[in-house]
Amino acid sequence: MQITKALVAVVFSLVLFFCWANVSVQPQAQGAGQAAKAGDDGLPVNNALVVQKCASCHKKDDKGRLTRISYERLSPEGWQQAIKRMVRLNGLSLTPEDARAIVKYLGTYHGLAPEEAKPAMYYAEHRLQEETVPDESVRTACTVCHTYGRIISQRRNKEEWDLLVNMHVGYFPVVEFQGFRRFPPPPDAPPPPPGTDTRHPADRAVEYLSKNFPLQTPEWSAWSANMRAPKLAGRWLLSGYQIGRGRVYGEVIIEPTGVEDEFTTKTKIQYLKDGATITRNGRSIVYAGYSWRGRSFNDKGKTADANAAVTTTTDAAELREVMFVSRDWSQIEGRWFWGDYEEFGLDVSLRRVSSEPLVISANQQALKIPATASATESLTLYGANFPADLRAEDIDFGAGVKVKRIANASANAVTVELEIASTAPVGKRDIALRRSFAPGAITLYDKVDYIKINPDNALARLGGVRFPKGYQQFEAIAWQRGADNKPQTADDLNLGPIDVEWSIDEFPSTYDDDDKNYIGTLSPTGFFTPSVEGPNPKRKFERNNYGEVWVVATHKAKDAAPNAKPLTARAYFVVTVPLYVKWDQPEVGR
Amino acid sequence: MKHLTAINRKAKRVEEYIAVNEEEDDVFALQQGPPQQRPHYPVGCSLVFSPGWEVDVTGGTAGLCQPVERDLYDCYISCYWPAQVPDHLNNYPDWTSKCANATKDWRKIDLVFP
Repeated sequence: MQITKALVAVVFSLVLFFCWANVSVQPQAQGAGQAAKAGDDGLPVNNALVVQKCASCHKKDDKGRLTRISYERLSPEGWQQAIKRMVRLNGLSLTPEDARAIVKYLGTYHGLAPEEAKPAMYYAEHRLQEETVPDESVRTACTVCHTYGRIISQRRNKEEWDLLVNMHVGYFPVVEFQGFRRFPPPPDAPPPPPGTDTRHPADRAVEYLSKNFPLQTPEWSAWSANMRAPKLAGRWLLSGYQIGRGRVYGEVIIEPTGVEDEFTTKTKIQYLKDGATITRNGRSIVYAGYSWRGRSFNDKGKTADANAAVTTTTDAAELREVMFVSRDWSQIEGRWFWGDYEEFGLDVSLRRVSSEPLVISANQQALKIPATASATESLTLYGANFPADLRAEDIDFGAGVKVKRIANASANAVTVELEIASTAPVGKRDIALRRSFAPGAITLYDKVDYIKINPDNALARLGGVRFPKGYQQFEAIAWQRGADNKPQTADDLNLGPIDVEWSIDEFPSTYDDDDKNYIGTLSPTGFFTPSVEGPNPKRKFERNNYGEVWVVATHKAKDAAPNAKPLTARAYFVVTVPLYVKWDQPEVGR
Repeated sequence: MKHLTAINRKAKRVEEYIAVNEEEDDVFALQQGPPQQRPHYPVGCSLVFSPGWEVDVTGGTAGLCQPVERDLYDCYISCYWPAQVPDHLNNYPDWTSKCANATKDWRKIDLVFP
């Protein structure tokens, strides 16, 4: 009897064990039998090269779907990163040409719809961005390490999101207690009230992500049916802005290469403030019909000024372009960036030149309304196809601004003399030149009410010995209080950069650490160059040259009374350690 | 407030006021200026404090290892910040092979591009 009991117990525990084992290995098994479990939502892979290179591990089913690959949609950078991981860790071997072709296919046919990609573009554009993470579990499980932009540039079905969690646990086991799992309550804690969600953050995040970022979406079904190779060849006008250097105007000639979705570019740009001109030649790929990834080179060759000190005015040997092509192929917008931490960049907007006149920019951002009588101002407008018979009444700035005469005119630029009445209303103005509009290109203001620093929180990285320096350019922006007469509200008007004096103030986080003496130098133009990395024997505890400070801008108007209080602004600024690993996918633009 | 007892009428009134209005955040400074600028995390920073990598939990550098090279091996061996420091477990098993003591030999380690 005793033996029978023992036998029953053993059999019972074995059954239990196998049940448990079956459950615990399921995620892996699901990878192989994904299609059957996940329903018919996978995207078939219709590319011979992808099947040839990937299907030996990612099994193909009878509907042409590959495990894993068919159940996720990613940005080009996402696919590039996955392929690099396969090469690094899973024994994949690819020629650069094949890798390029695979990323192009997957980034296009297993990519994102424009509406899905737009909110995440800042991530591909390497912009410093204030992020709001709408879900607490995603914040706990994902954004402790990643930016939210990276998470929202992916779409997966529920099982794929689960497998992504498993991949992290497998490769980086510490994530379990860094954010994926919640810590158990203390032993003497009362039991949670009934109905409390006691799931782990990773499980809740998967639920949120599979609901909000699923594989199949109406946007993707619509876009994948409508997607086509963009026809972008032609002449485009560029207006742009670079922190610290102001407005840029230029021209981009886009030419086809003979390969669908790929283009070459010839760019000429001029900085309106200092007059510097730059010529560049580039090459680009457009993924999924709208997502531009390119790079361009200056004509001095790649290494011409490699040893020169880096500043904001350095003409980068190579710069990367990430842009978003509008659905009607009439506008392209994005960021061109360079620097070891992509910290330098131009915000650009391209508009296609047709046979009609096109006005896109002006050499000043703001014009002052006189206190009494009227004032005469000269303003240059930039564009294309300005007609030879252009008259003053063809150009319109709205109420209170009269075009007195055209002082100088060519096909691409026209200088006008304006009469601004003291009664002109304050606000942003569109410039109209016959039927062409430059929306909000100029702002009329009565007075500078306050200044702000752009960016108002920033990060630079120590470097120069073994690791590259991460620089930071600051600028001060003048603001007018807006129609509600209250400063610091949403209706305030940006009047553009203003000349200020720069200084650094201690941010008192630790007593006597004197961060401002160690972090680096801020030039009179607001350009910050960090100190070297590595322990500093002169500092207490041999701490690095890192620190946090306030960057302070002070502006005193030329016509201000001698005892008038100057306008000041400050920005929180962290100078921190280098990155020792750089997760970046520059290959998508090559 | 548990261990403090009001000793005069004014303090009692403060206690009563707080007891009644506990839920509402309706006490304002008389002269409230523009929203106060506070330090916060720029994009891409790690927020877990143990210690954090590029910023600590307050958004500054005061809580980082001093110097940060002391922290390198801990991050490396345990794959603690795989977004910032190469991980020993899978991707970069040889990253520190030329560097026996990071605070002294940090010049010998490389920037890696996964």
